[in-house]
Amino acid sequence: MIFLHKLLNFYYREYKLNLSGFQDILTNITFFFISIFIFIFSIGPEKETYSFLGVGILWTLLLLSSTLSLRKFYQDDFENGNLTLLHLNGFSFELIAILKTFSHFIFVQIPFLLSIPLASILLNVGNEKLYRLTISFLLGALILSSLGSISSSMNLLNKRNYLLGSVIVMIFSIPIIIFSVGIININENFNSLVGILSGILLITFAVNPWASGACLKIAIQNN
Amino acid sequence: MRFLINSKRFNVFADIIFKPVLVLSIVLLIVGLIFAFFLSPDDYQQGSTVRIMYVHVPSAWLSLMTYLIMTVYSIIALAFRMPFGFIVNTAVAPIGAIFTLVCIISGSLWGKPMWGTWWVWDARLTSVAVLFIIYLIIIFINISFENVRVREKIAAIFILVGSINLPIIKFSVDWWNTLHQPATISKLSKPSIDPSMMTPLIIMTIAFIFIGITIAILRIKTEIITRENI
Repeated sequence: MIFLHKLLNFYYREYKLNLSGFQDILTNITFFFISIFIFIFSIGPEKETYSFLGVGILWTLLLLSSTLSLRKFYQDDFENGNLTLLHLNGFSFELIAILKTFSHFIFVQIPFLLSIPLASILLNVGNEKLYRLTISFLLGALILSSLGSISSSMNLLNKRNYLLGSVIVMIFSIPIIIFSVGIININENFNSLVGILSGILLITFAVNPWASGACLKIAIQNN
Repeated sequence: MRFLINSKRFNVFADIIFKPVLVLSIVLLIVGLIFAFFLSPDDYQQGSTVRIMYVHVPSAWLSLMTYLIMTVYSIIALAFRMPFGFIVNTAVAPIGAIFTLVCIISGSLWGKPMWGTWWVWDARLTSVAVLFIIYLIIIFINISFENVRVREKIAAIFILVGSINLPIIKFSVDWWNTLHQPATISKLSKPSIDPSMMTPLIIMTIAFIFIGITIAILRIKTEIITRENI
């Protein structure tokens, strides 16, 4: 019971923090839409081009703009000492990693999910593809949150090279891009590709707590 | 075998074997190149370009082998708290990156006359390029953190997570239909390569292994000395 109470308090705190920092998420979504405009300006406004390029562009831009918010994943909590306090309150580092991953998914990736229908109108993605895009983004966003947890916990003590975190996420997100875009563009085999994507999700879920927990421990011990 | 996990014993052992290994690597490289250029036949389809294989295949094997060694040393160093593993990881990563780069460049030099392009987005080529980027990230981690005790552990965790790529590279030619040909030399079956081409390939592989060991000994000794002076 006490544990549940702690969990609820944790998420209430995350909600408050994300609400006060909502302009960051809005800026992220604005970045996403501006980069769609840039793509249209650079490739040209023909609708036929986007019927087969649109999904790939959309996924690439979602990946790029969700890596922008990774700096805030653990950094604020680490610098004002909240991570240490959480650990002293009986949360193991692995549990903190799991909770923060879900909080990142709920408060950062879900707003992106809400902006996908508008973006798909801009890029001329049909209704059938939009349904598949939503499913693939729901699965892929959870994987991206887990990878973001790993890479941002690795970079807590990195004072010189901020971009390293984004590079680490992007190198591991290659299989996600392959299978998510594959889901949308292939007509048969839909269920088997969803199965592969959920398999990748389970693997990253299994690796994420141990890897990020170890990195958080190293960062707190050496700070 | 204690010299594999203890830096003091490694120093003693390395001083003994360094000169023989150096001489052996130079001799084997010269002999292997003579075999590859003059004593091995042309391929009936590829002509003389088949000789690129004698550099390409050993460097590809060694790029995978170096990553495997780094993975094993990461596990040893993290699980049994042996700092020598971190030293080996830091020292060996650039060697692996160079071998991967040699593999990619020689492959694309071969691909231009044979396939008609420098580069195709094929499963094996892409996964090797990813391996090269992973090596680069390991080097970046090693140079961008200030604290040595932090960066070595983080690099080891990154190596362990990135080792997922190894089986993908190894089996990419079996799992997908690729332009890159499947492995001709395997342990379980008789190799489908002619003995006259097999001999220079084996000599070049052993020569590359000894070159790698020579550079690794130099780099590991340098790394040990640098860490003592911190």
